[in-house]
Amino acid sequence: MNDGWLALIQQAFGLLFSLDPDVWAIVSVSFSVSFAALAITLLPSMILGFMLAFGQFPGRWFITNMIQTLQSIPTVVIGLLVYLMLTRMGPLGDLRWLFTQKGMILGQMLICAPVLVSMSQAAFTSVDRRAWETSRTLGASWLRAIWTLCRELKVPLLLAIVAGFSRILTEVGCSMMVGGNIAGVTRNIPTAIALETSKGDFAQAIALGLVLLILSLILNFTLGTLRGKAEPRSH
Amino acid sequence: MVKVIAQDIEMRFGERTLFTVERLQLAQGQTIHLQGDNGSGKTTLMKLLAGLVSPTKGKVSVQGFAPLPWWRSNPLLGKAVYLHQHPYLFDGSVEYNLNYPHPFCEMSKQQLEQRTQDAIHKADLVHLTKQAASSLSGGERQRLAIARAWIMQPKLLMLDEPTSNMDTYSQELVLSMVKDLQQIGTGMLVSSHQSCVLTSLCDQSWQIADQGIRSSTPSKEGINSDPITLQEPRYVIAN
Repeated sequence: MNDGWLALIQQAFGLLFSLDPDVWAIVSVSFSVSFAALAITLLPSMILGFMLAFGQFPGRWFITNMIQTLQSIPTVVIGLLVYLMLTRMGPLGDLRWLFTQKGMILGQMLICAPVLVSMSQAAFTSVDRRAWETSRTLGASWLRAIWTLCRELKVPLLLAIVAGFSRILTEVGCSMMVGGNIAGVTRNIPTAIALETSKGDFAQAIALGLVLLILSLILNFTLGTLRGKAEPRSH
Repeated sequence: MVKVIAQDIEMRFGERTLFTVERLQLAQGQTIHLQGDNGSGKTTLMKLLAGLVSPTKGKVSVQGFAPLPWWRSNPLLGKAVYLHQHPYLFDGSVEYNLNYPHPFCEMSKQQLEQRTQDAIHKADLVHLTKQAASSLSGGERQRLAIARAWIMQPKLLMLDEPTSNMDTYSQELVLSMVKDLQQIGTGMLVSSHQSCVLTSLCDQSWQIADQGIRSSTPSKEGINSDPITLQEPRYVIAN
């Protein structure tokens, strides 16, 4: 590693630890938008995942396949779709959400939901049916029984949440198209990294990359600890 | 008196008919031994009477249960308890599992705490209360599951092969808890291939065979049974 690289990394750490307002404004936009998208999507997605796992209704197979398809659609295509909906001539044009954080939240919700639904469906499908029956026969209401299942499945459900959050926190395509990368308003970590790299300002790009890396380490080590504590079930 | 009545029931899995019953009744005070070959539908019948599954055709009705609030539609849940052959224990300690049904029991906090302590001693789980339920042996799991139900004082109790994983000591403990429940009038349905300590408590027997259910009562000469008539091989009045 030459001196230039070392200097860049030193500068990046300097920006982070000196609480550079530009860097932390970008981090703040990223987290507030992604947390909002996750918070709005979480409960409906889990309920849909539960219904797809346990319910027997017409169209279940179709919905499951559609959700799995949506999971693999590139974020830039979702960005294009949301852009077309929010543009002046689009069906949601009157909302004037294009190039705002609300527009970014909408886009990220569409990216996050299929991941959450699909992974929670897989988790609920894997649960031992006796857990549901035991909870119900002991007198739990269906809502309480669902809560019991969620508790039994805490590790796979947390994995689903982390996967959904990681996907929206790191996506560039949709945020760039719908948010427009406006400094202090819609510029988030991935769009800022893309911009700073194209400008040649690698220090800020590395600083922002480090934030994502540290977050990723924290999330994965926390999950690893949880997974380690979860003992294999004997039946 | 609480009773659950299954009327004109047909249970099918796809094309396969498990059993059909004209009328079947399980009431408080009864202790019934349920017999039948593997796959004959013993577990399904127990789950049906516990309100966990619905029949393909027919109706399961209940009598003597307290009226329910509007958000609860099934009076059997929490009152007619079904115990799996391999009981399911929730992720957590033995104590957590014993406390799980507390919010659903119509007893005061003090009564529940007292019953839980009694259950811990009756099932000899004193040294295991803080231990993870997943680490228990087969017999201990059964004891814990029955102790959990014992705390609730259910009106009806379905025990699916309850002694299959147990040594003699565990069987004695379970027998004592089951006798307690019998004394307070809990109606019980005990499924078991062979005679065991619990089947000796039974005053009646149901046999699932040829897609029907035959009821019989033990007598000095042996078993008095109401056999299936050849004309109606799939419909039997069980009580």
